[in-house]
Amino acid sequence: MMRTDLFFLPDWPPVPGQLFWVAVLLLAAIVAGEAARRWLRLPRILGYVAVGAALGPQATGVVTPTTLAELRVLVEIAVGLLLFELGQRVDLGWLRRNPWLLATSVLEAGLSFGAVFALLTLLGARPVVASTAAVLAMLTSPAVVMTVVKDLRAQGQVTERLLLLTALNTAYAVVGCALVAGWVHLERGRDILAMLAHPVYLVAGSVAAAALVALAARALLRLLGRRPVFQFAILVAIVLLTVAGAAALELSVPLALLALGIFSRALDRARHFVPLRFGETAMLFIVVLFALTGASLRFEGWGLAFATALGLVAARCAAKGVALLALARASALSVRNASLLNLGLTPMSGLALLLLQDLVRLDPRLGAEIMPSLMLAITLLAFLGPLATEFALRASGEVAPERAP
Amino acid sequence: MTGFPYRSSQPLTIGVELELQILSRIDCDLTRGADELIALIERRGHPGEVKPEITSSMIEVSTGIHERHGALLAELVAIREAVVAAADRLNLLVAGGGAHPFQHWRERQIFDRPRFRQISELYGYLAKQFTIFGQHVHVGCAEGDSALYLLHSLSRYIPHFIALAASSPYYQGVDTAFDSSRLNAVFAFPLSGRAPLVERWSDFAGYFEKMRGYGIVESMKDFYWDIRPKPEYGTIEVRVFDTPLTVEKAAALAAYVQVLSRYLLIERPGAVSEDLYHVYNYNRFQACRFGLEGNLIDPATQSHRSVREDILATAAALAVHARELEAGEALAQVERWARDGSNDARWMREVYGASQSLEEVVWQQSRLWSARD
Repeated sequence: MMRTDLFFLPDWPPVPGQLFWVAVLLLAAIVAGEAARRWLRLPRILGYVAVGAALGPQATGVVTPTTLAELRVLVEIAVGLLLFELGQRVDLGWLRRNPWLLATSVLEAGLSFGAVFALLTLLGARPVVASTAAVLAMLTSPAVVMTVVKDLRAQGQVTERLLLLTALNTAYAVVGCALVAGWVHLERGRDILAMLAHPVYLVAGSVAAAALVALAARALLRLLGRRPVFQFAILVAIVLLTVAGAAALELSVPLALLALGIFSRALDRARHFVPLRFGETAMLFIVVLFALTGASLRFEGWGLAFATALGLVAARCAAKGVALLALARASALSVRNASLLNLGLTPMSGLALLLLQDLVRLDPRLGAEIMPSLMLAITLLAFLGPLATEFALRASGEVAPERAP
Repeated sequence: MTGFPYRSSQPLTIGVELELQILSRIDCDLTRGADELIALIERRGHPGEVKPEITSSMIEVSTGIHERHGALLAELVAIREAVVAAADRLNLLVAGGGAHPFQHWRERQIFDRPRFRQISELYGYLAKQFTIFGQHVHVGCAEGDSALYLLHSLSRYIPHFIALAASSPYYQGVDTAFDSSRLNAVFAFPLSGRAPLVERWSDFAGYFEKMRGYGIVESMKDFYWDIRPKPEYGTIEVRVFDTPLTVEKAAALAAYVQVLSRYLLIERPGAVSEDLYHVYNYNRFQACRFGLEGNLIDPATQSHRSVREDILATAAALAVHARELEAGEALAQVERWARDGSNDARWMREVYGASQSLEEVVWQQSRLWSARD
């Protein structure tokens, strides 16, 4: 009798849905991030990543692979916003005014590729496998760099160059991945023309798609007038539109988003429509992004893979360092700042993971050969990267003083 | 005086100091960059001098000593080219203007030097609001008494200088209604305003020693007067100019001070008395608020007229002195500005009116400064 009367009561204990665990993840990450900053003087990101790793499938399993898959859209919004914002802050005209900067960028990415390729070849990897790792070693995580820069409100030569080099090496890595993918196809007997046409399609298509979206967004914002309340929602919408559009057309999502940022600034110099900095709203996505990055990390396969991973990290860092120091004076940067810039370029995580997954999907054999050590390198850098970048920016003196509450 | 000597310098020579804004190309806000910019400029060699200022988003450039407007302008152009070339490589913008239209002073950082840190501690938020940019014009005087005579008699013309140079209509993101809002920030300092009315250098030295004895000042630098003597250079220094938007204007304004000084020192048109200062604050306010349209009361005749009318009347009396100093062109420019009622503040309001964007105003300021199109 009782049961039927109180039909509205839940079963005991109640079974929380996915949303509950998302909320737990979010709150725990925020608390851990704040704890990392306040008591350990560490970057907040480390707190987010650690909570993600602890709650993820690899550890306690509170966040299941299903949840991870369902939350992918949040990650895409977060990465999209950060890449878009990076594009807005990057001024390609600088490369024209200071050509040595372009040389620095090409050299640091080229040497990173060369050093990692040489190392893995030496260790007996097939060329296509070594290339996969080497291509990813070029890039610096745009999400980590943007988040640390925003968190510290840094500005100055080290900061601006860090952002510029990150945007550029991200673009190189995307194109490089396309070439590696072409190579994989080639090994299966596709023709070389397709392999070479692919990057052209990726770059030209992504840039054209971004230009279209940017023009359309400007027209829309002009129609609505300057209303800050709409702007954030509209930005999220155009970022999603770009993500979805680029994905549907098999273009490069990161490249399209970077280009979208660059166009939106170039088309709106007077800043009528698109604000440069997002409010605190974007924080939500950033916390989720890093918590989920943490949840995707793997901590297995120590041993030989670990040594390879360490070697990979060291080779990459040394290669970037050589390039930056060699061209420091020519590009008008002090040796000290060039060294700090080198440290700042350390992060490599989320985007590398996504690109790697795309390649592995093409050729599972590739995954078996490269995954263990590359995953470990990415895991290492997920923790070392934010530390290095934050240290570099603080040491360069480009960090804004703590804001009074 | 033994304790506080005035070092003689060649009369009517001029030199200019300009405080410049360092801006981000990305958002047109002030940005840190002084140390890298200065290091790069020094590395390549340049005319004049380039120094850090109180915040890392400001540098000060200064010329050598000049007898003629033409040479002064040539040096200023060369300095500008050196600064702009270095700024380009660092992706920075440089601009004139008396204040940044929308900077947020909480974000500013005090340049890391003991004197600047001490100022920042003493003045608190005033020090950061002091992120304002002025032009200083030095005029050489043979000895201390004539320097003081020139100082006091030039105070009659302070409204001219303020109105012609005014380029700070916007401050902290709003239209202040003033043509020069920058001077309002200066007035907040306890030692700002006018110098005391003393006519003999020995008396001035006595005054300075007394102020030092009180422990109020340590050096002349602690006075933020509109015009102050610089005994170690043998000059007086006019400090009410907002940094103009072009070096051409900066040079013309310096030449105007030079010509006016020649007129005052040679013709000695009026006695120095406290009357000069009865109308001083009123006239100065009018010039800050209304620019060239401001009301100016002549302390000698008690007549009222607008600043621009007063400039035109003054210029008529200066023609012969301008000819002697080869500054006819500069004087003609000043007359043209007065006749048209045009100053940089008006130009900035026009740019804002057309674009409705302070970022665009700053961008155009930097274009104008760099002399690029």
